[in-house]
Amino acid sequence: MESVKQAFELLFSLDKELFQIIGVTMRMSFFSTLISCLIGLPLGALLGTKRFKGKSFILKIVHTLMGLPPVVAGLFVYALFTHYGPLGQLNMLFTVRVMVVAQCILITPVVIGLSASIVRDRSKPVIETARGMGLSNTKVLGLCLRESRASLLSVVLNAFGRSIAEVGAVSIVGGNIQWKTRVMTTAIMLETNKGRFSFALALGLILLMIAFIVNILASFIVKEPADD
Amino acid sequence: MKKVLAIGLALVMLLSFAACGGKKEEATTAQSTTAAAPANAVIRLSTTTSVNDSGLLPYLLPVFEKETGYKVEVQSAGTGAAIQKAEDGNADLILVHAKQSEEEFLAKGFGVERLPFMYNYFVIVGPKDDPAGIKDCKDAASAFAKIQASGSKFVSRGDDSGTHKAELKIWGEGKAPDPAKADWYISAGKGMGDCLTMANEMGAYCLTDKATFLSMQKDLKLDILLEKGEDMKNTYSLIAVNPEKVDGVNEEGAKALIDWMLGDEASKLIADYGQEEYGVSLFTLLEK
Amino acid sequence: MIKIENVKKYYKERCVLDIESLTVEQGETLAILGANGSGKTTLLRILAGLLKADEGSFELPAPVLYLPQQSYAFAGNLVRNVLMGTKAAAGEAEQLLDSMGLGALKEKKAASLSGGELQRLALCRLLIRPAKVLLLDEPTAACDAQGTALIAEALADYQQKEGCSILLSTHEKEFATACAHHSITLRDGKIEKEQEEVC
Repeated sequence: MESVKQAFELLFSLDKELFQIIGVTMRMSFFSTLISCLIGLPLGALLGTKRFKGKSFILKIVHTLMGLPPVVAGLFVYALFTHYGPLGQLNMLFTVRVMVVAQCILITPVVIGLSASIVRDRSKPVIETARGMGLSNTKVLGLCLRESRASLLSVVLNAFGRSIAEVGAVSIVGGNIQWKTRVMTTAIMLETNKGRFSFALALGLILLMIAFIVNILASFIVKEPADD
Repeated sequence: MKKVLAIGLALVMLLSFAACGGKKEEATTAQSTTAAAPANAVIRLSTTTSVNDSGLLPYLLPVFEKETGYKVEVQSAGTGAAIQKAEDGNADLILVHAKQSEEEFLAKGFGVERLPFMYNYFVIVGPKDDPAGIKDCKDAASAFAKIQASGSKFVSRGDDSGTHKAELKIWGEGKAPDPAKADWYISAGKGMGDCLTMANEMGAYCLTDKATFLSMQKDLKLDILLEKGEDMKNTYSLIAVNPEKVDGVNEEGAKALIDWMLGDEASKLIADYGQEEYGVSLFTLLEK
Repeated sequence: MIKIENVKKYYKERCVLDIESLTVEQGETLAILGANGSGKTTLLRILAGLLKADEGSFELPAPVLYLPQQSYAFAGNLVRNVLMGTKAAAGEAEQLLDSMGLGALKEKKAASLSGGELQRLALCRLLIRPAKVLLLDEPTAACDAQGTALIAEALADYQQKEGCSILLSTHEKEFATACAHHSITLRDGKIEKEQEEVC
């Protein structure tokens, strides 16, 4: 109860650092979700609609990567971007950008796997009809995505939820630097380590509220085009 | 194809069973050589990450456990969390290194007695070429001033840990740089090992306990640039949790561990710790 | 002209389609009759390129349009459904919907249509595009007599405008008589009867 009170006090105190952390969190989650969906949805639609050699093998890899532990993804990205690593020249370690990279590695397989199964279940009549209308392959693929839009929105929200809640990978590659790469989850971890458990819980509640608001906004977005 | 898969799965399961069985056996044989277990055999020790990372506890505790039959469960976290856990009734004793927090803990009645028993020095590590030129400073405060003046990067723990508190004390009351404004001052909010890795990546300076640094040195391109300044002394204390204030404390177990840690055998082990691996002692015992 | 030679299709060991030879002249309509499972849909899907024949060859002029047996409603209203993937004007779509008796429903969502209405909408979606071959799988199955008449009329207009060949499968003799020039009857994948006149 103490935490609930603290959460609201924090929000209404308009604490500059809190809002900076929320800002970084949203920026990171937004771009991670955007990029992984831009890559993942078309690939998922492709896997869900096309038959080709090696498809089941690719799906197995995708499903395996869906279970990739975030820490492992973090370590992998760290090894890539570390000062003496293959991409060290880019000087991107401990930035929000590299956190987005790590997140995309984690989330894209989830987007591909989930959207592939959704599109597969819904696409057969769409493909028959659209190809019967003489539409190009790209258009057919786009239609498959469009027609399963409501279910795919839940995939996008799932991706967003994962990226906003992720802590292991972003902590490794982002470094939890104050005023720079600290996000809600790493801030919660820090407060936990400091022993300020109820404050940490208050931050957790704020994180939940953000996720809730995003979900509500998303449900408005999907309702609108269905009405036209 | 399905048959092959089934056989493969069965094999994996069999192997994992075998592995479990092996461990169990090991555990029983280990137990048979230890002393008879006391009634309440589990001691919950809450300590800071730096103590645990230094490898001192994994070195000492098995000896204690074998002699007494106790089982010590070590929880490591930042000093703040380590103390909070004890106040919440989740530990029997604490081993920390932040005098002010320890005294608050005692003042609130959670601790029985503060027993400082060993110390070492914090060290300032940084890039080998020492861009801020702190090598010949006489203490940490003047080294910090030089780092600030040169604008070289500095990684701060920023997590309320004992090391972080020691760093803030060196800067002086209210004089620590504001990480919101000073972009060279990086408040990492992470453990010692993570901060050292980060300093290594950034070519930054960092205040660290020597033990953690030495244990990681071979992977780092950082050197110890300053040690043994008067303001860099780092004292470790043991405090048993007050059973009158907190429920469910293993009072006897805590006392047994404290007695053993302060005894001659442990003292000798502590004094030797680090000699073999690094050629220096990592901790010095306080005069009793 | 559509020319089919020795086209065969197997499911596992069973031969579901075996057309030795079939020709349809440009601008003509062929009705494909036969019981369920006689191979009508298989033949049309092979010609539409949705299914690969195991043997044989066929040739037909492009573009080819195909109407599946099950009509599907895309998201959005009727006009939007008809215009999907074409650059045709909205007025043209509305005219087409009018001719199929769907003019009053044009602002409705396609998903809210009845089976017969949806089938006519699906046909509108094809007829707004140019084609040299039209493949229709039971285009009137869900329609009543009035709907069937509207479809027959629209198909005749379209054929006159485009000069296309039409292959349609159907169970309704009347509909076949009304719009086809010839007919074949399939049985177990083979042409049982080929008639110059329909029925």
